[in-house]
Amino acid sequence: MKKSILIARNTMAARLLVRRIWAVSVKDFRRLPAAASLSSSSRFSSLNTSVHTRSFLSPSRSLPLSSHRCISFNVQDQDDFTERVINSDLPVIVDFHAQWCGPCKILGPRLEKAIAKQKGRVAMAKVDIDEHTDLAIEYGVSAVPTVIAMRGGDIIDQFVGIKDEDQLDSFVNKLIGQ
Amino acid sequence: MPPVETENGPIKARIQELIDTNPVVIFSKSYCPYCKKVKELFKELNVKCEAVELDLIENGSIYQDVLMVMTGQKTVPNVFVNKTHIGGCDKTMQAYKDGHLQQLLGAESTAYDYDLIVIGGGSGGLACSKEAAALGKRVMVLDYVVPTPLGTSWGLGGTCVNVGCIPKKLMHQTALLRTALEDARKFGWEFSEAVSHNWETMKTAVNNYIGSLNWGYRVSLRDKNVEYMNAYAEFVEPHKIKATNKRGKETFYTAAKFVLATGERPRYLGIPGDKEYCITSDDLFYLSYCPGKTLVIGASYVALECGGFLAGLGLDVTIMVRSILLRGFDQDMANRAGEHMETHGVKFLRKFVPVKVEQLEAGSPGRLKVTAKSTETDEIIEGEYNTVLIAVGRDACTGAIGLDKVGVKVNPKNGKIPVNDGEQTNIPHIYAIGDILEGKWELTPVAIQAGKLLARRLFAGSTVKCDYVNVPTTVFTPLEYGSCGLSEEKATELHGEENLEIFHSLFWPLEYTIPSRDNNRCYAKIICNKLDNDRVIGFHYLGPNAGEVTQGFGAAMKCGITKEQLDSTIGIHPTCAEIFTTMEVTKRSGGDIKQAGC
Repeated sequence: MKKSILIARNTMAARLLVRRIWAVSVKDFRRLPAAASLSSSSRFSSLNTSVHTRSFLSPSRSLPLSSHRCISFNVQDQDDFTERVINSDLPVIVDFHAQWCGPCKILGPRLEKAIAKQKGRVAMAKVDIDEHTDLAIEYGVSAVPTVIAMRGGDIIDQFVGIKDEDQLDSFVNKLIGQ
Repeated sequence: MPPVETENGPIKARIQELIDTNPVVIFSKSYCPYCKKVKELFKELNVKCEAVELDLIENGSIYQDVLMVMTGQKTVPNVFVNKTHIGGCDKTMQAYKDGHLQQLLGAESTAYDYDLIVIGGGSGGLACSKEAAALGKRVMVLDYVVPTPLGTSWGLGGTCVNVGCIPKKLMHQTALLRTALEDARKFGWEFSEAVSHNWETMKTAVNNYIGSLNWGYRVSLRDKNVEYMNAYAEFVEPHKIKATNKRGKETFYTAAKFVLATGERPRYLGIPGDKEYCITSDDLFYLSYCPGKTLVIGASYVALECGGFLAGLGLDVTIMVRSILLRGFDQDMANRAGEHMETHGVKFLRKFVPVKVEQLEAGSPGRLKVTAKSTETDEIIEGEYNTVLIAVGRDACTGAIGLDKVGVKVNPKNGKIPVNDGEQTNIPHIYAIGDILEGKWELTPVAIQAGKLLARRLFAGSTVKCDYVNVPTTVFTPLEYGSCGLSEEKATELHGEENLEIFHSLFWPLEYTIPSRDNNRCYAKIICNKLDNDRVIGFHYLGPNAGEVTQGFGAAMKCGITKEQLDSTIGIHPTCAEIFTTMEVTKRSGGDIKQAGC
């Protein structure tokens, strides 16, 4: 019971976010020359765009699917974090941020962009440290933005502060083992 | 090593007997400081322990050899609790810290959940809890902000950070910048755009900075191993509190000692409309809209500071004063600070008190009608304002934390808690610091100092007490007022007018000369005790950067500076503070203190 409510709630947020990310990924797609995109996109087409598009276009109740597939989401609570970050099949980049933090506002969109480029091979979890203080405290966040790369519940890598797009790309690439 | 076994058989049996028959055994040496520390720990926990001093008994070294075989540890202390080997001093302290020791002691221990619970996460409470934790104690701090009647709430750190010193000074700075902009033209800066102020931008910037401070405090509690609960605490038993969180969930915690650091909140007037329509300083700094035409009720430093910076932002500000400005401060200085405000557009409505506040129109801001009556005649006046800010004083948050249940004495008039010079209440295991203390300073740095020193006395054997004398402070009125030591009134009362020599002078800051403003407004005064080598017992400064100027003189007064030493100090030219090195005119003489303008 609790879980289903949770998923429903997540999905509300996820759907909003999917809309945004989807828009980004479509734009990226358009930018890619058809030939060049073939190799990179074909491998993941089943995983990424098709599912994505479907979950967005048909906001039906196929919830378990979409909650797994959405790339970027706001963490709702401790249980949500366990389910969608620690127990995630995909590697996850966790962005600990705060409303009052100027650099976070610059890094957040950059990070989303870097993750969108990976077309579903990595997810992004956003944690507002004032709303989810216990999580941030548990993960040793001292300053924001703090970004943690996780795979299978383990912390693989992390950084504090702002990075440029190239640095973010290599940070994300490292996580998915490229 | 079979031979050793047989030879030491009786000693091994003796050791095993000691372990089996005593709840706590410490194999120790009488001179060893680590052993002493462990013994003190058990003494503190009120647990009887058997200490075997190996340097004082026969065959002590064989005991050590056998212990080495039994436990792999030859060093002392070697601690056993209820037949379980703990280890040396560090291991025992660690077991105590993580609760393992208490578990092993079981029912035989009177141990509490914590060594110290601090109620209130303001400057004082945080400083005290962090210091205690740094000394190896198990500490919990509870903080809970009850929202204002209008729903304003904030994070960890207490009044100073969230609704006091920090936002106040940032908004004061905002106002000073306006003056600087005006001055700038006189210095040759040319700018054509009309200058206007955006409240929302300022408020967001200030709130963001506060947000980062809240987080910093939270992190430092984690880093210092202080347990933090965002919950409202109240006593239910002498050593037990109930913590109620936002969702109404109740948990209970016990501690050996408690520190009350709950601080104060703004007082309301108790007139119709005050809680419904008026704001206090608790709301002002988080107001989402510019307050517009504002009536400030009260003449406390909060009233003058808030009224001052609002006027400095260009708002129409009126301050309603019942009797005097800045009660408790040097009245000569208070009136000069007030006069300066008056010449800069702040209106004062003296000898009036409000009787009701009515809403004419809701909005952001809305329109309010204030009815006030004279304190001397039957005159009734009415006025219309966008915002009414109440700043008539603050009440200690001591009424609803269960102090009656544990018998802590509270002054029924003001809710303040009387303590001895060690910040101890009438209940020996309960202490209090900060703004809730009877007859002490209501200043953040004082609370921090008191909290830190208290933790050291409680847990590190220190005897250093907080010195509440010669505390420097500054009121951030548009023209800032810094002081240290006694007011003229207090000095006269304590020492007698005839035993005082008061030196004073007006001065004109160099930076005011080119804009040619505020001549003969800035003022310096020192009060010297003639019976004590002309020692400086009161320092008063009205001028720019008062906090920066006063801090150093505060240090000098701590060292007991005399007038002669001030005179022999070389001034820094050209500054405002240098005036204190050349004070010649005494107040008694009635000599001219005006500065000749150009």
